[in-house]
Amino acid sequence: MSGAGGKFREDQVLVICPGSQTTIAQMGVAELSPPQHKFPTRMFHDPETPGDFLPFHTFKRKKQPIPEALANASNSGSNPAAAEEEYEWVEDSDSVEGAVYPIVGGRIVNMKAFLAFLEHVHSSLTTTYHNTPILLMASPQWARDDYETIARYIFEQTKTPSVCMLMSSIATQYGIKWPNMCVVDIGYQKVDCTAIYEYQIVNHKALCTTTSTGEAFTLAGGDAFTHSLLEKLEEKGFNHDMSEQLKKSHICEVLPYAPNSPPEFVELPTEPASGSATAAAEAGTASASAPAAGATGASPENPRVVEPSHSKPAIGIEEENGENGDKGGTEADGVLDVASIVASGQTKEFLAKKEKEKQEKAAKAREKKKAAQEAAAEAAAAAAAAKPTRLPNSRRVKNVFHYEQIVEEEVMVPVLVPKKDREGENKAAAAAEGEGKEVSMGDASAVSPPPPPPAAAAAAAAAAENGSALAPTAASTEGKKEGGGATTEEKKPEEALKAKSPTPEPIMVPERQIKKIRRDIEVGLERFTFATRALIDQLVHLIFETIQGSPEPYMRSQVWENIVFVGNGARLRGLKENVVATLHARHLVSPSTATMFLSELPSNIATPSGTGSQTPVPAGSSFNTPPGPPHQLAGAGTGGGGVGGSGVNPLLQAATTASLQLPNRPGGQGGDTASNAGGEGGSAGVGLMAGFHKSHHSHSQTPTNIRAAALPTYLGEWTKNGYEEAMFLGSLIGARTAFCPAHNVDKDTLECIRGMSLGRVDYNILLPNVKEEKARRDRDVRFQRFDRFVDPVLLIQAVTVMEVLKCRVAKSSAGKAEAEVKVKGEWKV
Amino acid sequence: MAAHNLTSTVQPSDVYGGDEVQAFVLDPGYYFTRAGFAGEDAPKAVQPSFYARINGADQPKDIYGEQYLIPRENLEVRNYMTKDSIVEDWDTAPKFWESLIRNQLLPPRQVAPKQNGLNDIPREDQEGDVEMGDSNGADKTGDTAEDEELKLFEESPLLMTEAPWNTTKNREKSIEMAMEGWGCPAFWISRTPTLVSFAAGKPTALIIDVGAANASVVAVHDGHVLKRSIQKSPVGGLWLSQQVQALWEGNDPKVEPVPFFMVENKAPVDAGAPAQYTARKLGFDISETFRAYEDERLRTEFKESVVEVWRGPTRFMMPGTEEIARNQTPGRVFEFPDGSNHMWRETRYRVAEGMWDDTAQLPNTPDEWKISAEQTLSSLIRNCLSGVDVDLRPNLLGNVVVTGASTLINGFNDRLNIELTQMFPGLKIRIHSAGLSSERRFGAWVGGSILSSLGTFHQMWISRKEYEENGVNIVEKRCK
Repeated sequence: MSGAGGKFREDQVLVICPGSQTTIAQMGVAELSPPQHKFPTRMFHDPETPGDFLPFHTFKRKKQPIPEALANASNSGSNPAAAEEEYEWVEDSDSVEGAVYPIVGGRIVNMKAFLAFLEHVHSSLTTTYHNTPILLMASPQWARDDYETIARYIFEQTKTPSVCMLMSSIATQYGIKWPNMCVVDIGYQKVDCTAIYEYQIVNHKALCTTTSTGEAFTLAGGDAFTHSLLEKLEEKGFNHDMSEQLKKSHICEVLPYAPNSPPEFVELPTEPASGSATAAAEAGTASASAPAAGATGASPENPRVVEPSHSKPAIGIEEENGENGDKGGTEADGVLDVASIVASGQTKEFLAKKEKEKQEKAAKAREKKKAAQEAAAEAAAAAAAAKPTRLPNSRRVKNVFHYEQIVEEEVMVPVLVPKKDREGENKAAAAAEGEGKEVSMGDASAVSPPPPPPAAAAAAAAAAENGSALAPTAASTEGKKEGGGATTEEKKPEEALKAKSPTPEPIMVPERQIKKIRRDIEVGLERFTFATRALIDQLVHLIFETIQGSPEPYMRSQVWENIVFVGNGARLRGLKENVVATLHARHLVSPSTATMFLSELPSNIATPSGTGSQTPVPAGSSFNTPPGPPHQLAGAGTGGGGVGGSGVNPLLQAATTASLQLPNRPGGQGGDTASNAGGEGGSAGVGLMAGFHKSHHSHSQTPTNIRAAALPTYLGEWTKNGYEEAMFLGSLIGARTAFCPAHNVDKDTLECIRGMSLGRVDYNILLPNVKEEKARRDRDVRFQRFDRFVDPVLLIQAVTVMEVLKCRVAKSSAGKAEAEVKVKGEWKV
Repeated sequence: MAAHNLTSTVQPSDVYGGDEVQAFVLDPGYYFTRAGFAGEDAPKAVQPSFYARINGADQPKDIYGEQYLIPRENLEVRNYMTKDSIVEDWDTAPKFWESLIRNQLLPPRQVAPKQNGLNDIPREDQEGDVEMGDSNGADKTGDTAEDEELKLFEESPLLMTEAPWNTTKNREKSIEMAMEGWGCPAFWISRTPTLVSFAAGKPTALIIDVGAANASVVAVHDGHVLKRSIQKSPVGGLWLSQQVQALWEGNDPKVEPVPFFMVENKAPVDAGAPAQYTARKLGFDISETFRAYEDERLRTEFKESVVEVWRGPTRFMMPGTEEIARNQTPGRVFEFPDGSNHMWRETRYRVAEGMWDDTAQLPNTPDEWKISAEQTLSSLIRNCLSGVDVDLRPNLLGNVVVTGASTLINGFNDRLNIELTQMFPGLKIRIHSAGLSSERRFGAWVGGSILSSLGTFHQMWISRKEYEENGVNIVEKRCK
């Protein structure tokens, strides 16, 4: 923070949380809302000046000739022929062609690109460069050089007054607020696991794709799951994008850990009782799809679209299709829905010249071919869907997911030109198409609810066949829904078209459009089995190693009780639960019966004088009530496990209850009590009886209790959004603490806050010769001062907010509670 | 702070900015290798000195990094250090260190993107473009990756640590590697006790260092190791592990621990009862070395949570003491990865007692791990002090510095105090040991970090020029 008046306005703070795929950035920290702006973390080489980067894929494209009519209409008088030879630079914000990803696996692999990216984010969010401090979330893989380079860049290339770099795990902690945590950050291609004890990082381990020397050893992170899925479904024609979408869909999940079912330790759903019936059904559908294929004249390998009930409209248009004399090109696309064929037949006339279009179709055709094998299965799905029973996804052998593909193509868009008659059916039809498109968009959204009726699904699938055919398809969807009225509906656009042709003539102008294409694809058990044991074991191992690797054994137990999964890779359904359950089954140290049965204590406990010299009950223990421990324990046991009963050795009961806490866990309150009874005291029995033992160290081995951290509930929006992006929340809080401290902070706290960020003034002091410097790593780069034995990175990296809080707690007589209240008050919007 | 210590040996020159260089500090040990930047308070990179060798069909391939020490087919675990804590495998060591520094301390960009494989996995379908991008980036520098690497070390002096008994040949190899292999501009090698004394801020001290493979007692005077005082023996962490192993084997029923990686899940069982666990099916054989590595880790956990040093006042083997230990101290339960658990009572003291009293070694200790009476810590201290001038002894005993991870065992300092008081009655004994476990584990590294970040150290480095003029034996002349 520069100077004494280094307080900034809350809406003038820029927060950037870079990730290897997506970067979250926000201007202003006044509202602690879930992320609004996400930037894809990628840059593109500038084709004009090598070495520079552009935020979007930019390529040279032949300028589209301005249609004569339009040219005439606008009276430009330019020669269309001349225009044809012009080239233009086009930015394509969706293309990933030639993308450079500056961050891979958390490491900044291309600093130049990263800085260019920072610049891009910075400039697109800030209007002026003045007085906008930056909080940049750092990842543990960044090297010291990276910090230095970034700091240099920010101070020298922008007018940023102050910078705070915040470690992502610490940021997560700010967001989730527990002092002791294990943060498991499942990113795109890496997993970071950080143990935090008392607001300090005590250990960090990571899984990442490669070492910097290029040894690809393991795959990790969310992408590993996608790859696994892809591997399993590749032969069914899936590509990476499809797998990714499937992974994100609701039907893809990690099944709960089942300790007794090797080798994968999950219980996969099995075929319904009528196993033979399914086979029959499959055969049936195969034959069912055959006529469909025949009817449309497509080759038998093509019918991948579900054709549930061949309704009249379809047949009706089929005939039309015949009239139009559609060619093999469309057929090769596997289009069965005749509605689309019609449309594509028409549009084809327009688009035939566009080479690009052709290529796309070819590509699609290939895709279809691969997918064709699924067709039969899909038909079966349709049949299954017809069944009245609705099973949860995890119990179904197969389920359908809707694949949305974004296709970009050039289409002719009508531009209304006043009174310039250009007769031609084509244009008119296109007009209809253009119009129809709007309809289709609306329809598609209407159809989209996750479990769609088969008819809708079919239509949607059909729509997928050809983007340009969207309009009629959508219409047909509607038609099918409405049943009888379908045919008329179907005709509508054409009628409209005819009606329109005399009206002011639209002129076609090529325009690039982005279309969503939906396909329904049925997936079998692969959607569960992709989460292989190996992948989950990786995570389990990582967590175990990280926490057990904390330098001091006493730190571990508390870290074990607050495991939190963040990063969007953690959104995979069931993953967290499975990992925690596996940790439980594999690593939980259960309260031992050894102390109970081997020690002399249990015999004493029966007698009222049991708490003799040999059984010193620890004064600070939670069970420090005067004589009558049996009652106490029985009470705890009952409360905890819900198992009552007299005559049972209360200690045994307590111990067993504690060991049974796994099943009770989700119970919340009950589970908590149980863990109090069991886990906390190093298992009640152990804790009580070995009081002496406990007073030194609790159960010396960890973990005696494994728990996912409770997430805060006071931020409603975040609860809805999920805390996978908690690091962003934490960054907001961190930025607020660092740059917008409250007025009433005392001197020590202020000092801490000052240490959180590096202001321009300090930067200039630390780097006096920065201006004269030529080479990056010249000797003048110093982040260390002669007389200070500190971690140089600490200068720029934050002292944790929590430390700030600690100061506050220490100072305020009211103590911790007040401080907490204060913070919460600040957090709330 | 530590800066004042150095002024006694080196005249301060007022060259401000001697700390501007980013030096690396490398501290190889038998179990862990530590590396980091000078000036920081803890090493950023700490990695077991073990590495993985994959014995494939063709040439064996070495992979460095803790994360790769996982169950894998044909994986063999190797160590480049000897049990004397000196570097043995000079083919591997530089590669190991380089990978450690490169992967954990430096930004990854000095490797050309084409070679680093980072673009391989996700975007195979667009190599064309990616490659174009790479060449764009690479042709600007016009360097191959290797040149870049060299350049990188060219700007960074290197400070290494060595065991006090390191050989001349080894030291010369170190400087050769740094100068020739890495192109360091300056180099220094320093003995661990010196550095530990720096870390503790005591130029004169008795350093008791109990590490993994060795325990050593060395007197340091004014920052110099007194050569005649160097005493070492194998009573370190590994020896302790052997005692633990002997304890398990001698237990009734015999404990046959299953390491973590072999357990899929487990069910709670009564103490002493056989384990009920599901074994993990790996589908391939695990090499002996990997198993040994994993077993050692398990024993480490046992040492951490169960083993304790008998605090006295009487020695554990004195008649009657064992009964006291059994009846008046709590036992500890240890649950093995397979879920079986046992109560350890007085025996958990017995395990560590051998460090002080050779008669307390467990009877079934394998012969190669048996130590003699001269090898106990008590004897080491006595022998060390008898090797130094009588006048120095009070000063040394007033500055006893304890370091090494094995000294973190509960009760170590208490016992050490008792032993010293009994050995040297009448002398004032003060034990200095860092409270933070990291400082105790990385004592030598921290000392190196302090030393090399001091401005006054600037002129002590052996510069490249000196090396070129004098050859490798400069290290013997300078680093005494």
